[in-house]
Amino acid sequence: MEVTLLVEATENAFRILGDARKHAEGIIDSALELTSEETRHHEAKRIQEIFTGAQKRKTAFQNFIGTAVILYAFWVLLSGQFDAFHLTLGAICCIVVAYLYHDLLFANTRVGDMRVVAWRFITYIPWLMVQILMSNLHVASLVLRRKMPINPQVLTFKTKLETDISCVALANSITLTPGTITMDIRDGVFYVHALSKKVADELQTGAMEDRVAHIFMEADHLYVQDVLDAANIYAALRT
Amino acid sequence: MIRESQDVIVKTLARLLVPFIVIYALYVVMHGHHSPGGGFQGGVILAASFVLLAISQGLDKIRQRLSEKTAGILSSLGVLIYAGIGLLCLLLGGKYLDYGKLSKLLPVEPAQARSLGILGVEIGVALAVMAVMCLIVFTIFSFDEDSGGDE
Repeated sequence: MEVTLLVEATENAFRILGDARKHAEGIIDSALELTSEETRHHEAKRIQEIFTGAQKRKTAFQNFIGTAVILYAFWVLLSGQFDAFHLTLGAICCIVVAYLYHDLLFANTRVGDMRVVAWRFITYIPWLMVQILMSNLHVASLVLRRKMPINPQVLTFKTKLETDISCVALANSITLTPGTITMDIRDGVFYVHALSKKVADELQTGAMEDRVAHIFMEADHLYVQDVLDAANIYAALRT
Repeated sequence: MIRESQDVIVKTLARLLVPFIVIYALYVVMHGHHSPGGGFQGGVILAASFVLLAISQGLDKIRQRLSEKTAGILSSLGVLIYAGIGLLCLLLGGKYLDYGKLSKLLPVEPAQARSLGILGVEIGVALAVMAVMCLIVFTIFSFDEDSGGDE
């Protein structure tokens, strides 16, 4: 009787010990898993940081090269002397300035579609010239009449343009056109002073805004890069 | 204390114009020996580019580009370049700022040495003028920081 009790007690003790061991093993396993998870997380984060750093340096370098080339063209235009001495001086100046100011000229623009934007901007200029000429004639006819039928008014409209540079292009186009002046832009709302009702109505049709949006590929215009990306995905899906 | 401008037009156009203003200033400095312009004018245009940046982006960002200490060092460096070239001519046996004597050091004709000497002096003048102008403007812009006013 006592022997069986003793045996039972030992068995119980062994069982408890075994449970404790299993428990401890479980804890150690989960701890190991946690640490490996931690290190993997750290690794991934480090690689991510290295990658974004490289990306940043790459864009900075692209901006540096772009700024230097544009500034060098400007220097040659100003200088007009093509001997080796002045060209070298210009190259040194441009590299120094581009190094110091590489973040100014291309802030928040995508390098990929710069050529398209430049070409569209050049084709926009003749249209703007015609617009300026028409408004000039209109304002001249207003001023030269005896009664001078002007109707000054301030009109506000909410723009669909998103980036700073396109808002500035539209604002300066409006100011360049005689009869209208952009007074302010606040949170995407333009405050424009118009000399007569005809000028104000022309502005309200939004033709100029559409054209500026077309230059900078904004609003309801698809981005070229998006189309290219979608094409890649479509090709991958089909195979 | 000048803060960042709220106007998107001013900010964007200043950002786009400043590199070209700086290149124009350097052109005025570098071509000073055979066209109108020179060290003083170029230095003032350089300082104007910094003022334009200051009123569009705020004074704090400009201090990151050109601190007051750097401006002080640059102004002294400009004077040192000017006086150094002058004294170098003196040491080489000429008068003060007698650039022709520099041809003993440089592998060029005396006439060309004069041109190069003038260019060096102009760079010194431009550095000194730019740095001193920037210092004056910074001091005027930040007068209410020192007085500890509430504004």
